[in-house]
Amino acid sequence: MGRRIAIVEDEAAIRANYAEALARQGYEVAAYPDRPSALAAFRVRLPELAIIDIGLGDEPEGGFTLCGELRALSVRVPIIFLTARDSDFDVVSGLRLGADDYLTKDVSLPHLLARIAALFRRVEALAGEQAREERLDRSGLGLDVMRLVATWQGLAVDLTLTEFWMVHTLAKTPGHVKSRDQLMQDARLVDDGTITSHVKRIRRKFAAIDPSFDRIESVYGMGYRWKA
Amino acid sequence: MLRPRLNLRAKLALLSLLLLALPWVGYRYVQEMERFLLEGQRQALVATARAVATALHDRPQLMGARPRTGRSVLDDRMSLSPGEELMEATPPRALASEAAFGEPVAEVEAILTGLERTTSRIWVLNRDLRVLALAGSLKAPAPGPSEAAQPPWERVWHRVLGWIVPPPGEDFDDTLERDTLASGREVYDALLGAPASRVRKSRDGKAVIVSAAHPIWSGDRVLGAVVVEESTNPILLVRNQALERLLLLTLAVLAVSAVLVFGFASRLSLRIRRLRDEAENAIDARGRIGALVTGSAARDEVGDLSRSFSALLDRLARHHAYLEGMASRLSHELRTPVAVVRSSLENLHAETLPPGARTYMERAEAGLGRLSRILSRMSEATRLDQALASTDSERFDLRAVVAECIDGYRMVHPQRQFEALLPDYPAWVRGAPDLAAQMLDKLVDNAADFATPGTPIRIELAFHTTSVALSVSNHGPTLPPGFDDRPFEAASAPGRRDGNEPHLGLGLYVARMIADFHGGTLHTANLPDGDGVCVTAVLRLA
Repeated sequence: MGRRIAIVEDEAAIRANYAEALARQGYEVAAYPDRPSALAAFRVRLPELAIIDIGLGDEPEGGFTLCGELRALSVRVPIIFLTARDSDFDVVSGLRLGADDYLTKDVSLPHLLARIAALFRRVEALAGEQAREERLDRSGLGLDVMRLVATWQGLAVDLTLTEFWMVHTLAKTPGHVKSRDQLMQDARLVDDGTITSHVKRIRRKFAAIDPSFDRIESVYGMGYRWKA
Repeated sequence: MLRPRLNLRAKLALLSLLLLALPWVGYRYVQEMERFLLEGQRQALVATARAVATALHDRPQLMGARPRTGRSVLDDRMSLSPGEELMEATPPRALASEAAFGEPVAEVEAILTGLERTTSRIWVLNRDLRVLALAGSLKAPAPGPSEAAQPPWERVWHRVLGWIVPPPGEDFDDTLERDTLASGREVYDALLGAPASRVRKSRDGKAVIVSAAHPIWSGDRVLGAVVVEESTNPILLVRNQALERLLLLTLAVLAVSAVLVFGFASRLSLRIRRLRDEAENAIDARGRIGALVTGSAARDEVGDLSRSFSALLDRLARHHAYLEGMASRLSHELRTPVAVVRSSLENLHAETLPPGARTYMERAEAGLGRLSRILSRMSEATRLDQALASTDSERFDLRAVVAECIDGYRMVHPQRQFEALLPDYPAWVRGAPDLAAQMLDKLVDNAADFATPGTPIRIELAFHTTSVALSVSNHGPTLPPGFDDRPFEAASAPGRRDGNEPHLGLGLYVARMIADFHGGTLHTANLPDGDGVCVTAVLRLA
């Protein structure tokens, strides 16, 4: 029996396509067209991962509400926002509500599947089901690839999946410049226009712990690098 | 032809020149009045003459008298004696004696003495135009108030006034020319039996004299005539006073209305100018539409104009916002159907397809990828707008950023040739270095898109007095005329491109937004030799 994924999406075609694609990967998929039916189902039985659209039917912010309600039911269920909106404001609002990732709808299915797999791996790692450790340590920075947890000087940095992968790509080869294309590929991003704002958010999160943080360096005209 | 520029104030001032018609109308009125008074004086003189004649009617013995002075108004050789042909054949009655001669003259004189106190001069003539008696003088007694009593400003005023309207003088020549009486129509008429009057000038032309004559009857015979003369000086005096007051009033009215008109025009043009400035500033350099700072509450047309301007700008701003949001909304709206297509295609991959279908799948995916890129570019401007709002300015060295960027470009595009012309010392500007780099990215992308293959892209940083100009030029097709005038049309760049990358001209739009954020401007121009384009961002030095 595969893991149980809930898709809440008001667009029937997308809902069906994603449901089929996920079912083909062996997941058990429950699809809901609107917030009330999804919430009713969540109350009966929690999914192991939820993919939620923000605009649900005639509720333009229904996804945000549903995310809050689901978080209230369970702290640990991974939540992915999948939406047509890509403004920074929506991203920040979504992540503040406790979502684990925020994707725009033009994400490709392989990317989506990779993210789902990563989130499930993290759930397993947190549950201690897998003893295998995959860690990356660079002076001060600790990345737990299984649990998707980043630490800076011993303190946890609350990164989203996308941000975690970007930091991981940069820190894997310190001093090497990673172009926007490479970052896009490794972080399974689609839109290179959002890289700047992602980097900005990552820096801000590290700076919140250590105001003198300056390891992520912009190399104008090329990309970014992790300063060794 | 250059037409003189007349502002509102000048126009109103010109219009108020019409007020100058007022004194003219007043002058005409005074003239009418003068004519009227003159007529009255003539009537009065005729009445006086009649009264004097009445006293002399039917006293032929008086008329036969020789003049006291013995002088005759007429020469003896004067052939034509008025009334001669009308005279009766009977000669005047012979006088009794020379001794009796003085008596009637004295009587006439006595009658006339009573009239001497007036300012009129009264002649009594017999039919032969001999003056029997003369009384009174044309000249008034000595002038009353002396000039010394007047305050100085009044003296100046009177002198100025004297220029415009000469005051009537009392020093005119009141002597009578020999033939004046004889040639006077009124004397003629009187001797013919009809009272008459005449207006003439004094001998030296300094005064106007009104004279009236009335016949002296004896039965149905005319014995002589009474001629009463008076100067028109009293009327002139009245007229001058009227003119004086008129001038004073007109000047006062002109002054007051000039001040009012000028004030009104100034206020009006001030309000209109303020409205114009506000309307001009309502659309700022970035093409954003603001509201009028002061929507006037005045209830007149200018207030109306300002209100409808406000309403217009408001509507325009909403429309502009709609258009601005259009790109991001469109990309947002299109994302869902694109997602449907993409997920459907990806599901198709899992199916077993007939061999020929693979090609179509690839084409569909390529098209979809292109569509996605277009969508993300369309929302880039909006995203940048949000990013700009939250970006803090810092002081940074633009030269270092540009140098670093060029190193990057050389590494990323090894097949392209980059010519860099950088100054030897740092160029400090205020802004965000990564945004400046993004701007240069866009400029270089744009140049690379249009550059003829094999030609270098030239990046130059040059100092001006208070600014630094970053220009990127490439050889290739030139801009269509008027391109620089359409800075806000996001998609106005020509969309020619060889590859399959979409080009909407959004890159330049984004570059312009960043230049604006740095307090600078972005210009596009064709190269002087006409085989390429140069895009220059001018940023203020910090």
